[in-house]
Amino acid sequence: MVVEKPVPEFWAWLPWALLNWGLTVVILAMVAVGLGFLGATLRYGPRVAWQKVLRLLRAIPEDLLYTSPRRLWALTRLAVKEAVRRRVVVGFAVFIVVLLFAGWFLDPTSEHPAQLYLSFVLDATGYLVLLMALFLSALSLPSDIRYRTIHTVVTKPVRPTEIVLGRIFGFTLVGTVLLLVMAPISYAFVLRGLAHTHTLSAEDLSPVDAEQTASDAQAKVGYTDRVRGHRHRVQVEPVARRGPTEVVRDHWHEWTVDRSGGETRYRLSGPRGMLQARVPVYGKLRFRDTKGFDIDKGIDVGDEWTYRTYIQGATEAASVWTFQGVTEDRFPEGLPVEMTLGVFRTHKGKIEREVLGALSVRNPRTGLTVEVEIFESKEFSVKQIWIPRKITEFSGAEVIPRRQRLIDGSVDITPPPERMNPELANRDEFDLFEDLVDDGTVEIWLQCLEGGQYFGAAQADLYLRAADAPFVLNFLKGYVGIWLQMVLVIAFGVMFSTLVSAPVALVAQGGVMLLGFFKDFMVQLGRGELIGGGPSEALVRLVKQENLVIQLNPGLGTKLVKMFDTVAELFIRAMAALLPPLSDFSFVAYVADGYNISANLLAVRTLTALAFLIPVALFGYLFLKTREVAQ
Amino acid sequence: MVSTESTNEVVIETRNLTKVYRDFWGRQKVRALKALDLEIRRGEVFGLLGPNGSGKTTTIKLLLGLLFPTSGQALVFGRDATDVRKNERIGYLPEESYLYRFLNAEETLDFYGRLFNMPRAVRRQRTAHLIEMVGLEWAKRRQLKEYSKGMQRRIGLAQALINDPELILLDEPTTGLDPIGTREMKDLILKLKEQGKTVVMCSHLLADVQDVCDRIGILYQGELKELGRVDSLLKVREMTEIRATGLSRETEAEVRAAIERNGGRVVSWGNPTTTLEELFLKIIEQSEAHPGQRVRGGADDGR
Repeated sequence: MVVEKPVPEFWAWLPWALLNWGLTVVILAMVAVGLGFLGATLRYGPRVAWQKVLRLLRAIPEDLLYTSPRRLWALTRLAVKEAVRRRVVVGFAVFIVVLLFAGWFLDPTSEHPAQLYLSFVLDATGYLVLLMALFLSALSLPSDIRYRTIHTVVTKPVRPTEIVLGRIFGFTLVGTVLLLVMAPISYAFVLRGLAHTHTLSAEDLSPVDAEQTASDAQAKVGYTDRVRGHRHRVQVEPVARRGPTEVVRDHWHEWTVDRSGGETRYRLSGPRGMLQARVPVYGKLRFRDTKGFDIDKGIDVGDEWTYRTYIQGATEAASVWTFQGVTEDRFPEGLPVEMTLGVFRTHKGKIEREVLGALSVRNPRTGLTVEVEIFESKEFSVKQIWIPRKITEFSGAEVIPRRQRLIDGSVDITPPPERMNPELANRDEFDLFEDLVDDGTVEIWLQCLEGGQYFGAAQADLYLRAADAPFVLNFLKGYVGIWLQMVLVIAFGVMFSTLVSAPVALVAQGGVMLLGFFKDFMVQLGRGELIGGGPSEALVRLVKQENLVIQLNPGLGTKLVKMFDTVAELFIRAMAALLPPLSDFSFVAYVADGYNISANLLAVRTLTALAFLIPVALFGYLFLKTREVAQ
Repeated sequence: MVSTESTNEVVIETRNLTKVYRDFWGRQKVRALKALDLEIRRGEVFGLLGPNGSGKTTTIKLLLGLLFPTSGQALVFGRDATDVRKNERIGYLPEESYLYRFLNAEETLDFYGRLFNMPRAVRRQRTAHLIEMVGLEWAKRRQLKEYSKGMQRRIGLAQALINDPELILLDEPTTGLDPIGTREMKDLILKLKEQGKTVVMCSHLLADVQDVCDRIGILYQGELKELGRVDSLLKVREMTEIRATGLSRETEAEVRAAIERNGGRVVSWGNPTTTLEELFLKIIEQSEAHPGQRVRGGADDGR
């Protein structure tokens, strides 16, 4: 799975995040007070303006302190009833209709059917719920103000905090119920969409060794019938009563054989292994260049997507993952390695097979490196390699030092040449934990064996599959991501609706959603990291149809364009800091690709959402507090 | 019973209260209220009179904190009008019943009761009492969107009284009501006065104000033009009105002669007419007592 933004470890991230958040909130509060004072000064003069600002600042803690749960609950219930009145059920009906007709368009013969079905249901649910959240939250309060129903509410002892929070809680409750209904329906849809089986008869099987005549005393192989564009290879051992088929399109079937009555009948189960939630243990990635020195990144092969960097084949270059916490308790049988590689070819290579690579295990202290497997690279799919506890089959073993260039220009070699012991490699068998794991730390090396070919790797491309989490739970965690997005959309919608009319709130909220989903792009744009320059430079290039990578002609015009972009980038950077990173809350890729959504990821994302919710609700309160609800 | 006399406690006070409506760009659109100075005391029924656009509703909204004054100050129970805490003691009936149309009468009153932080038992008791008081028991489970305008005014009134307020602000309280509803509303205002409540109402229906208000203020183009007690403002001091029953024609002639003898002049002489409202209510009352009979309201039948 592609993990472009590594998830930080919660407790390490928390202090930095809190500090960052606190600073942002303080700056925002100061800007808000300043703007409020300025606006009031223009209207009432500085003395009255100052009094008003002070009164407001005094009122904030009072309003927060005296927020009544009963009133809050009343307003929450009202928001729920309003949502129901606004035919929120229509959204649900649309969802059902979408599912009913989705079967026409989802191709069950695709290479990764589970990925297709899961990403579809999660995306469809997400879009529908977010749209519903957008409309409900942005239209509610303006409608109350327009029809003046708010007059009978604010003339009661209701505090603006209660109105804002009541709306947020109410619509969140509606959305939560909707998601709780949609989740099991989606799950049933996925199961139904993926369900299939194959048939296998005795005639489909033939002896493994074609020279011998068929008899029940020897293993047989064959293929099941073709269903949904695929078939499975089956190998039946003479005495076995059940067994797995080979994995095709991310799943396998269990076959059982019934040999009673002199007749042999095979039955195959439904698909297995399609829906999974792997728990990966990620290592830290570094690279080794062609001369054997450590480097942070591999070679850039000119791909615009710089997620992966590459190592050159048939050289000393390697991608090296260092894993920690690798203990016997955790992996008593051995290390289950899974990887997805990128391959860059400078020539066609051997047409009948993929590019060859080697996977080695290295002890970081002694340098003992055992090449455990030579494999054919397989792009776009997960390759599994099992490193057993006792390594008896291997293609090579040697002691390789690690070479690092230090800041002062000297070279550090680990282990130092005087302590290198080549004898370590002269054995027929290696024990994983005794020989290769040093105090829970082990390195896994990946090398490309063919000259002129390259392997691309990113940190998340190779991991140890520590365990499998329950898929249903992971599926529900996927909905937690949608829920977090929904709550953010609702909060922003309610905030805008306290300030502006319904259409403006709708547009503003729609803008926040759109930009929120492209926050990373905004950040890159703000930092001037995008190829082709800032907004005005991009416009110039667009109009003049100029290539993105060539420099603009020097001159006054270019200077002005660059100056404008510098100012615009500052503004964009400030804007981007205030935007919720909505795409970060999408766990669709995790669920669809079959990776567990960790508690760490959930904690980081939930706290991030909360960090946005608090100031957004506070600003909603301030806007409502300082506006005239009568017009 | 609470004293019907107003005390000296000032419930509402406005000082130089001014409101200017501005457009989006901050340009002055209209000066809705100009330097209003007003004091309303506990137990009073105060009427704000004026034609459309004179600033009545603006005044009420300023007192409720729905609008912010451009200058000056509005105090309610000694607190600034924007202070939420004053609302604990206030009931407000808006010009039109701005209620949630998807709620029924019971849900509506329960909702507003919750906003006053009332416990469940109190909410139930108040809801039942008020629904009975405004005569909507038969329709208490119907959504407000199915209500007639009169019914909406009634439930609007009930929500204004849910907290048994000390001060009730009524914006055009008789709008949309039939004569019976109008009379009931006026009776209710008088009953509230008997209970010692302070009532501030604004209306352009002069008869309504005259019937129930102790004091009135007349607004015109945002300015307070007249302020005082209704009885003294309406009294025509240079004329005398005598009403008597059982006079013979001879006695009538004698009275006329006595007036003229003493230098007076009879301006009008005849039988007094009832008001149309009283005639209508009498007919309805008799119709309910004798269904199917045609009612004679005491008129001359046009002959």
